[in-house]
Amino acid sequence: MPVICHEVYLAVGVMSKTLGIAIAAVSLVYALIGQAQGAETPRLMLNGFGTLGIVHSDEDRADFTSNILVPRGAGHSSDWSAEVDSRLGLQLTAELTPRVSSVVQVIAEQQHNGKYMPELEWANVRFDVTPDLSLRAGRMVQSTFMSSEFRKVGYATPWIRPPLEVYRMIPVTNFDGFDASYRSRIGEVTHTLRGTYGQADAKFSGGEAKARQAWGVSSTLEWGAASLFGSYGGSRLSIEMAGVDTFFDAFRLYGPEGDAIADRYETHDKRFDIFSLGASYDPGDWFVMGEWARSNSRSIIGDLRGWYVTGGYRIGAVTPYMTVARASVTSNLSDPGLSPEWWWHPEALEGAEALNEALNTWLRASARQNTLSLGARWDFAPNMALTAQYDHIDIDGGSWGTLVNHQPGYEPGGTVNLFSLALDFVF
Amino acid sequence: MRIRLTSSVLGLFLALIVGSASAEVVVVVSAQNPTESLTRAQLTDIYLGRLNRFPSGESVTPIDQREGATAHRLFYRDYLGQTPAQIKAHWSKLIFTGRGQPPRSVADDSAMADTVAASPDALGYLDSTYLDSAEVGDRLRVVVIE
Repeated sequence: MPVICHEVYLAVGVMSKTLGIAIAAVSLVYALIGQAQGAETPRLMLNGFGTLGIVHSDEDRADFTSNILVPRGAGHSSDWSAEVDSRLGLQLTAELTPRVSSVVQVIAEQQHNGKYMPELEWANVRFDVTPDLSLRAGRMVQSTFMSSEFRKVGYATPWIRPPLEVYRMIPVTNFDGFDASYRSRIGEVTHTLRGTYGQADAKFSGGEAKARQAWGVSSTLEWGAASLFGSYGGSRLSIEMAGVDTFFDAFRLYGPEGDAIADRYETHDKRFDIFSLGASYDPGDWFVMGEWARSNSRSIIGDLRGWYVTGGYRIGAVTPYMTVARASVTSNLSDPGLSPEWWWHPEALEGAEALNEALNTWLRASARQNTLSLGARWDFAPNMALTAQYDHIDIDGGSWGTLVNHQPGYEPGGTVNLFSLALDFVF
Repeated sequence: MRIRLTSSVLGLFLALIVGSASAEVVVVVSAQNPTESLTRAQLTDIYLGRLNRFPSGESVTPIDQREGATAHRLFYRDYLGQTPAQIKAHWSKLIFTGRGQPPRSVADDSAMADTVAASPDALGYLDSTYLDSAEVGDRLRVVVIE
């Protein structure tokens, strides 16, 4: 029964279809465009970005995906998949007055239902109280990690895709709410402090995740070529998924002991928090960057850790790079479960043993893996880059890694090799 | 006659070679702007959208030359140590998060001189030979980059 992707539960973040206020505000802003006055404003800008990518995986009994919420990827679904990294984004930026601006961004990529309907990623109105203090309302992207806000813009990042070991912890990107950003300068150091509050709904193949009372703070220090990042956030997380309630309800049939197990692992209104640190140094000819993150869920999702370090060297238009990454779980990977000796009735005993086994399989399946990635990016034309990347994923014993869509015969643990090619562009 | 023509063509040719070999981009403000110097870090932060004021506290509007122009490539190489592709990637991060737009760009040295001269809050850059050749010295001030 719990043959369900473990990580879909991480859908903490953020995504919702209820955008009433934001859309009304954005419409108002656009309606005002015609009336605004000024030498530089109103100004309307159309920008876009996209990735055309293919991925090959040598594991044919599970899918490799760049987002654990989608149903298909490379490996089982297709030998070579163009669905893992390909996407197209369009953005309209309106500067209405020197202080008021609005951003609407739509992205077409593989959705939770396998379709490619464009979705609203950003839709907000920004008001600059001063040049250094800005407020936004509407739909926007959480800055949980160093590259969260532009993780879908392949051209802006060195990799084909952000390392899943860290970025899997927040598989959904946007939320509906408010944020405030304050920039200050001390000598030659620029500090940006950001606070967010809102909520998010995320659908995935087979269920839906809801994050409520989601808040976060992030801090970025930039000093010349160096930058330091830190963030902390929390939410009340609920995940509804076919079969999961039935699974924990079955535990509850076993009295107080079963209740305790169900309370411990179920995912109804559980407190979720995530902490991350990052640093980068990019003097021009070479760069190095790294991030470390941990999340605690007080549920079957477990307590996750992840880190990566990426370094690259620029030789003309070509940038070879290497990434090492590790995903781990610090919460328990097994549970004694129901005490079988209490259940003398053969059917009850059989049921208890089956539940215990399923629970333990699920706990062990959580993503624990090391990845070594080697790649090279070639900036062959203005606005365009071609990147090739090889990933060697070494999955811990018993774990399903970050793979999804596991098929009968899939063996936990083992290694997976990926080869990816991506054309990134901006305009 | 023929010799004079040839020598002047030769002279022009030499001037071009020497000119291109010593091509140097200088940072300029309007003559009405009191700024005399900027640190390299300040210049970098202004052109990357992190700093929006001159050291005097007045607001600054950086102006770019069009991508592909020699002055554009030399400016980013010599002062910021970055390639046009790196600059593009940097602005992609800001554009697609609604956090900023790259500096407005102008076509060439002459348009840059006119734009900067006309606006006391503008900061720009152009080929030093243009500054010497054209009569713009009175309208512009070269900013020393420390």
